[in-house]
Amino acid sequence: MYFAGVDIGSTMTKVVVTGKAGDLLSVIKGPTGAGYRQLANEVMRQALEQAGLRIDDVSYIVATGYGRLSVPFADRQITELSCHARGVYSLFPGVRTAIDIGGQDAKCLKIDNGRLVSFVMNDKCAAGTGRFLEVTAATLGIKLEDMGEISLKATRKIQISNLCTIFAQQEVVALLSRGEKLENIIAGLHDALASRVAALARRLGIEPDLVLTGGVAKNIGMVKAMKESLGCEILVPEEPLITGALGAAILANQVYVKAAAAGEALPTKSRRLEKATFFSQESR
Amino acid sequence: MSWFMGIDIGSAYSKGVITKDIELVASHIILSGTNYRASAETIRAELIGKLNVTRNDIANTVATGSGADNVHFASQKASDIVCTARGINNVFPQARTVIDVASQSTRVIRLNENGLVTNFTVSEKCAAGSGRFIEVIANVLRIKLADFGPLAARSKSPITFSTGCAVFGESEAITRISEGVPKEDIAAGVNKALAGKISSLVKKIRLEEPCAICGGGALNTSLVKTIEDELNAHLLVPQQPQLITALGAAMIAAKPATSHSSKEA
Repeated sequence: MYFAGVDIGSTMTKVVVTGKAGDLLSVIKGPTGAGYRQLANEVMRQALEQAGLRIDDVSYIVATGYGRLSVPFADRQITELSCHARGVYSLFPGVRTAIDIGGQDAKCLKIDNGRLVSFVMNDKCAAGTGRFLEVTAATLGIKLEDMGEISLKATRKIQISNLCTIFAQQEVVALLSRGEKLENIIAGLHDALASRVAALARRLGIEPDLVLTGGVAKNIGMVKAMKESLGCEILVPEEPLITGALGAAILANQVYVKAAAAGEALPTKSRRLEKATFFSQESR
Repeated sequence: MSWFMGIDIGSAYSKGVITKDIELVASHIILSGTNYRASAETIRAELIGKLNVTRNDIANTVATGSGADNVHFASQKASDIVCTARGINNVFPQARTVIDVASQSTRVIRLNENGLVTNFTVSEKCAAGSGRFIEVIANVLRIKLADFGPLAARSKSPITFSTGCAVFGESEAITRISEGVPKEDIAAGVNKALAGKISSLVKKIRLEEPCAICGGGALNTSLVKTIEDELNAHLLVPQQPQLITALGAAMIAAKPATSHSSKEA
């Protein structure tokens, strides 16, 4: 018996395939991107290939993330909040607070024994999400993934006075032309984002253990800035991108096993790796 | 007869005017760039060149805008709120409310019958609530700012943006283009979103008519129309709406606010 979780985020599509015991068989990440949002099938194909499986071998597939409704081969959709909570809990059983900073939103989850108790999220303003770093990295002419390392060389943090990402972009240009050091600017950008996300998390109340996930958790400078802003220790999974997909695969397993125990037949979708059509169900 | 200069250094554009007493005789607009001090110098040189006068002929200069500190040749600085009010009062003495749609923020100012500021409110520095949203989307649509209003006016079904953020709005616009949505519907959607934010700002300090609109955003005729619909009010639009605040600065240079008010009172 095999299970799969597909997490379609705004920036990355993640697929996790597990065996019956929850053992990880394959983990694949691929860009979601604008205009190429139909690649869930491609990422799934790679994941199956890595696991040495065919699509028919997979008993149950759960899709999550903001593109979850348009995965034609998924049997069920579960919100990313539930999947993240489950995924994080499987890695860190002591987790009470989980913060996920993605490319298009930031979520703070309160978790009790693996169950989602409450949450707050920001998907309204780019300044409180990974997009803030993505945009400003492009302005600075550096790679997003290099930001963390560069920021560690900072001798001070330059305060970024603009909240709005677009105005911060302009501010960054002005700072560069004033001769400010790149590393100090980046440290300032990390600090700005961290304090915004920390303010969001405080609305919920922070309890240890605290786990940070999402693409932003790969940035070592951001983890440091979050520690400073929150004033507590932070746990980061080895692969912080996949907790949603992992949770989806675990939930797929649970749903399937529960139904089987009750003798119910679960409706499943056709096991064809079709392209997803992203906005087809939405009316303009 | 004396000449006065008003310099308004904004975050995107720098504007300058020279008035002969209270009549506008020369104006100049440039991109602010990153060196505001140099921009101020350029504007002064251009203005003086246009009139064939010398620096010494300018009796007084007042600076305003977020970069006012960089205008080292100004005798004083004045707040942009006061300058905008003074400028609009010069063009439309009947105006009791003025909406200034600038690049970084939108300001709504209430004026009394003497043209003095009685109340004002400023939007958060959020690109989605300012003229910058138009610039961002114009760039995505690859159209000139000047063409934005006429293009939007042709739309029959404006799109609705799902978030109130210009960064997310930019991605959304790109997605819509790839779906084949006509450019005019995207442009009109921007105007609709912006008009919604601006009118709620106006309602915060209550609209009193007549109401005028100025700033670069007022050049977008379709935006003006959309705000009019939202507010259910007619808006007075000056001929060169981006110059109003600089004009107000020149008016203050000619007659400081105190004597202005005592004269009016």
